[in-house]
Amino acid sequence: MDPQLTSIIVPTEELGQIEECLVRLVEDTGSDYALLLDKSGQVICSKGDGDRQDITALGALIAGVFASSREVAKLLRERDFRASFQQGVRENIFIALIEEQWILCIIFNKGTHIGLVKVLTKKATDELASVLERVRQQHKARDEVLGSSFRTSMEDTIDLLFRD
Amino acid sequence: MALINVAAREIHCKIVYYGPGMCGKTTNLQYIHSQVPKDVKGDLLSIATETERTLFFDFLPLDLGKVRGFQTRFHLYTVPGQVLYERTRVAVLNGSDGVVFVADSNKNKMQENVNSLKELAQNVTRQNKKFAEFPIVIQYNKRDLPREVLASVQTMDHFLGVTKMSWPRVEAVATTGTGVFETLRAISRAVISKL
Repeated sequence: MDPQLTSIIVPTEELGQIEECLVRLVEDTGSDYALLLDKSGQVICSKGDGDRQDITALGALIAGVFASSREVAKLLRERDFRASFQQGVRENIFIALIEEQWILCIIFNKGTHIGLVKVLTKKATDELASVLERVRQQHKARDEVLGSSFRTSMEDTIDLLFRD
Repeated sequence: MALINVAAREIHCKIVYYGPGMCGKTTNLQYIHSQVPKDVKGDLLSIATETERTLFFDFLPLDLGKVRGFQTRFHLYTVPGQVLYERTRVAVLNGSDGVVFVADSNKNKMQENVNSLKELAQNVTRQNKKFAEFPIVIQYNKRDLPREVLASVQTMDHFLGVTKMSWPRVEAVATTGTGVFETLRAISRAVISKL
């Protein structure tokens, strides 16, 4: 793959569909929170109760857990672990992979049954997989966002903020 | 893989500090965290052993503010350097946009530097990226070592094969901050140029 084409661009329309999907998932399962992450750990979208301040760190850690389990899968000659479940005393986390690129994470308490989460997450991952497919076709839009003036401004910002 | 969220007007990039054990990757992040303004940095998250060796990764989110209307965020990670954590390094490297390779300037660490760089090349290639075109900055750390054990820059260039590549390289003393921001500027620019 050409490194120049590795940026993932999420357009407004697709983000709207993602938001809708996460809101529905949270409502239908009675979960506390749903997060969509890129495999690099960056948060694409999050929906749920309250305003969590730890979303960025949560994204990095969950993606780390998933990437780590992928390596475990390889050692076991398994293609991939598509989903994982972490059970706590109060909170539980269910994580599902979408097309090797995105990670869907649902945080829920003991009032929600894991079976319901699994079934509705499967439905949501199918829906999000088709959104991802459309997002992957968005390379042309990159030039509209990242023109040469953007890069120049970016370099100025880097020099200003990261000075000795 | 950089993420550009058009609706939320956000750009996220992932930069990984790679290198052999005890070369100063975590020290780089700690220095950056101690120096950047509060509104730019998030908390430095470290998953380390009881002896403060990195077990999984360190993570430092930096928010560069709005650039041409886009909120721009750089996420800095380190990998655990010890040989036994090879698979963990693969996991952390996943989806990265650029790498700072931190090399130890101790003469006795040359083979470890070489092995680590070779491993990095393999891991980047396995992610379907061309290693020669991947944004990389080489940092020669610990330039304040006593002369008896300090490898010259030419020696390090030779061992690591740096002269054949177009990678920027920076001499540094991460404990005092020398070269730390020069390295960060260089990798940030390299990543932006490849977006």
